[in-house]
Amino acid sequence: MRRNVVQLIVLQFWKDAFRSKVMLLASALMVLLLLFSVYSGWENYHDQNHTRHVMQDEVQKSWENNPDKHPHRMAHYGSFAFRNKHVLSVFDLGMENFVGNAVFLEAHKQNTVNFSEASMSTGLLRFGEVSLAMLLKIIVPLLIFYLGFATIARERENGTLKLLIGQGITRKEIVIGKWLGLWSLSLTFLMAIFLILLCFVFLESHGSLADTMFRYSTLLVSYLLFFAVLSAIAILISAFSATAKGALIKLLGIWLLFVIIVPKSLQAMGYYLYPTPSKIEMETAVEHDLIQQGDSHNPDDPHFKALKDSVLIAHNVEKVEDLPFNYSGFIMATGESLSTEIYLKHQNDLYQVYQKQNNLERFSAFINPYTAIKNVSMAFSGTDFQSFLHFKAKAEAYRYKLAQDMNQLQMDFIPNRGKSGPNTISNRYWKEFPPFEYQFMKTSTVFKNEVIALLALIVWSILAVFGLLNLSTKLKAI
Amino acid sequence: MYTLLFKSFFRTKIFLISFVLLMSVGIISIFIGKQYLLKQEKASIAAQEFQLESIKRNLEYHNDDLGLLLYYLRFTMIKQPANISAISIGQSDVNPLLQAVTIRGIEGQKYDTDFENPSLLMSGNLDLGFVIIYLFPLVLIAMTFNLYSEEKELGTWRILTAQTAKKKLFLFKKLMIRVLFVFGILIVLLIIASSVLKIAIDQYFLALFIQSVLYILFWSALCFWMVSYLKGSSFNALVLIASWVVLTILFPAIVNNYVLNKYQVPEALNAMVEQRDGYHEKWDLEKDATMTGFFEAYPQYKNYQVPEDSFSWIWYYGMQHMGDLAAKETSTDMMDKILQRNIFSEKVALFVPTMHAQLNFNSLAGTDMLSHLNFLAALTEFHEDLRLNFYPKIFDNNAADTIDWTKHEAKFYNTERNFNWVALMLPTVLITLFVGFLGVMNLRKL
Repeated sequence: MRRNVVQLIVLQFWKDAFRSKVMLLASALMVLLLLFSVYSGWENYHDQNHTRHVMQDEVQKSWENNPDKHPHRMAHYGSFAFRNKHVLSVFDLGMENFVGNAVFLEAHKQNTVNFSEASMSTGLLRFGEVSLAMLLKIIVPLLIFYLGFATIARERENGTLKLLIGQGITRKEIVIGKWLGLWSLSLTFLMAIFLILLCFVFLESHGSLADTMFRYSTLLVSYLLFFAVLSAIAILISAFSATAKGALIKLLGIWLLFVIIVPKSLQAMGYYLYPTPSKIEMETAVEHDLIQQGDSHNPDDPHFKALKDSVLIAHNVEKVEDLPFNYSGFIMATGESLSTEIYLKHQNDLYQVYQKQNNLERFSAFINPYTAIKNVSMAFSGTDFQSFLHFKAKAEAYRYKLAQDMNQLQMDFIPNRGKSGPNTISNRYWKEFPPFEYQFMKTSTVFKNEVIALLALIVWSILAVFGLLNLSTKLKAI
Repeated sequence: MYTLLFKSFFRTKIFLISFVLLMSVGIISIFIGKQYLLKQEKASIAAQEFQLESIKRNLEYHNDDLGLLLYYLRFTMIKQPANISAISIGQSDVNPLLQAVTIRGIEGQKYDTDFENPSLLMSGNLDLGFVIIYLFPLVLIAMTFNLYSEEKELGTWRILTAQTAKKKLFLFKKLMIRVLFVFGILIVLLIIASSVLKIAIDQYFLALFIQSVLYILFWSALCFWMVSYLKGSSFNALVLIASWVVLTILFPAIVNNYVLNKYQVPEALNAMVEQRDGYHEKWDLEKDATMTGFFEAYPQYKNYQVPEDSFSWIWYYGMQHMGDLAAKETSTDMMDKILQRNIFSEKVALFVPTMHAQLNFNSLAGTDMLSHLNFLAALTEFHEDLRLNFYPKIFDNNAADTIDWTKHEAKFYNTERNFNWVALMLPTVLITLFVGFLGVMNLRKL
């Protein structure tokens, strides 16, 4: 394979592409879309994060400004966790607008994360959202197929393919040249978008810059591979179709299947195969399990009676009032740990079902490269389900710590019923309690979560190379 | 002539593919709708049982303290989904159809979400509405993009023109056959849907049918217009697919992004915090700080005594009420913003048939945003009624068993669905006529 010949074919490909009016129109449209996505992605990210930071600070201030009081009142006063957006969410919105943004953290109760953008949206949300990643995942593939459908098929129809081969250009040079031409052309969009994104990363990265850059580079490499695969598919289809028209129809069909029909059908099938309980059903189950374990409201409950007896014996006293710590604080601490454990178990079961629902689509990455890039893109932009769960788990951990620290304060400083002593404690304890600070998931964890999608992307890349090499020997000139 | 055209159409590969695709995905979508209804039904039954059980159990422990009992008890309001909602699930996967609330502050309770897999929310439900809005146009495009060009490219057009004088009529008949075929499938699917999902044949169903027909006519007109330029197959295929991408993906998504940014709702988060603070700060203040506001809202309870130095339920529920009061203004602002989002979207949709169809499907099915806002308003009223019913009994220190609890079963809320035939039909009719006219004008040259 001669380098200069391949270069020549690549150059010719670029020239041909820009000669067509459709390409110019499409490029202009892409630039407009790009500008709009940058603007709306950035505004959304910036405004929302700003609001949430301000709120988080305010919440912390009002927590600290509480006067001296009974610690259990503070446990009910509670706090809030506001979900921060990752800077890369400017790139890929993913599930960003479908998951909740704020959760009230209080003792005894796991509240839902509320106020997702979706819950405040009109039916238009169903049509999807424009983001930089959406352009790369959905629109650019269509452009690649448009630019690629005629490459070989039309040359053959016109008879120029025969001429090229007759002039001593090898089949391999033609195939690789055309493929590189198409791929490099698609990379102009990729590079434009990733350069803009780089500015955002440097401007706005709050956490570790190294970590964000790691995510950024993974995204870049993944999209490079994705476009290489799509370019190869376009070239292969074009080469194996009798006419350019046939190739175009096939490629459009493939695009529809990859991007719209297969992912949506598989997600729907997953939902159909693995039904999930509604919230009320899960709450009923949680309550049921809790009562089985021990009902703290029931004065005759065997679990709590046994607990009481054992505590009395351990401290060698006859009445709970004589214990060296506040007994109701102790009971609440026990109840909190019990109810949290049961709740989290049920929640975990629910997420397992979600996982099963999603797996159908997740594993389809091996038959659909779009699914692979979709999952990689969301995950590394910090907008996938796992990123949300990570936030949720941190918020729950904070809630639990808040409740249990208040229970501990109650045990340590509040006198038992009938004993003398103050019923409140100093407000310096509130000030000592650390604020909620969220750290994004480590990039190494994201890698672990997305092994399947990354693997699928690599398999697709290898297949693409094999396909092209195979074509280099089998290409029919007529 | 028609029989021949029918025969030749039925022999094409595209006919078979379209038929299999639409029928299979259509039927799957109907069963997904069925499952959605079943899930709601199950949740509704679970909620009713939950309420009965929890009243029974809590009565055992707290019979002598009604204030405490009602601190725990939750009362459910269920939005009964109309069966037609299985065709257009709309926003009802994001917004819960039932809410169980205590008589404490409502603001902290009414926005609680249900559990749903966010991946599913993101990809959206594969309901019949989706099949009609997304897949039907694709099939129309696939069947009509080469309406003229295939004859031209195969060389049959010359023979045809030699044999018939009515070339335009020929093309028109060819188009008609394809459109009729799509209508046939639409009708079959809707009949299957109405029997599987037990949808009443009422004005809503009729309106949904007419909206679907108009929507398909719009796409037929658009395809016809493209064909009327008498370009090659590849060009038509590209332009039509590009139109499809713009109309069903790009444009609505751009409008959606714009709406989300233009009408941001930070009020949602503010109201949440205001409610908590409005309630909790009262614990540390004089009783008057609570009771003045409470008695202003409910002068009928003025005669109750509020002990200054100890806890009382009237004070407690007064504080809860003050939390709602503190958040009221922001909460109203939030609702206004959401309404503005809706108004703006509907206005833009008048010019874009895809968006118009989607929003209309949702409102006919009672799964749109407005319907949810109405539910929230009804929930707030339900909560108010509960409180006004229970307050005097709590304040009088009545025992819990003096209340007839059988009256407190889960309550059903029936959606009100209003629609206007003109607003429903006119935009699509006008656009279709306009596009069709352009096509006819083009064909005069033929």
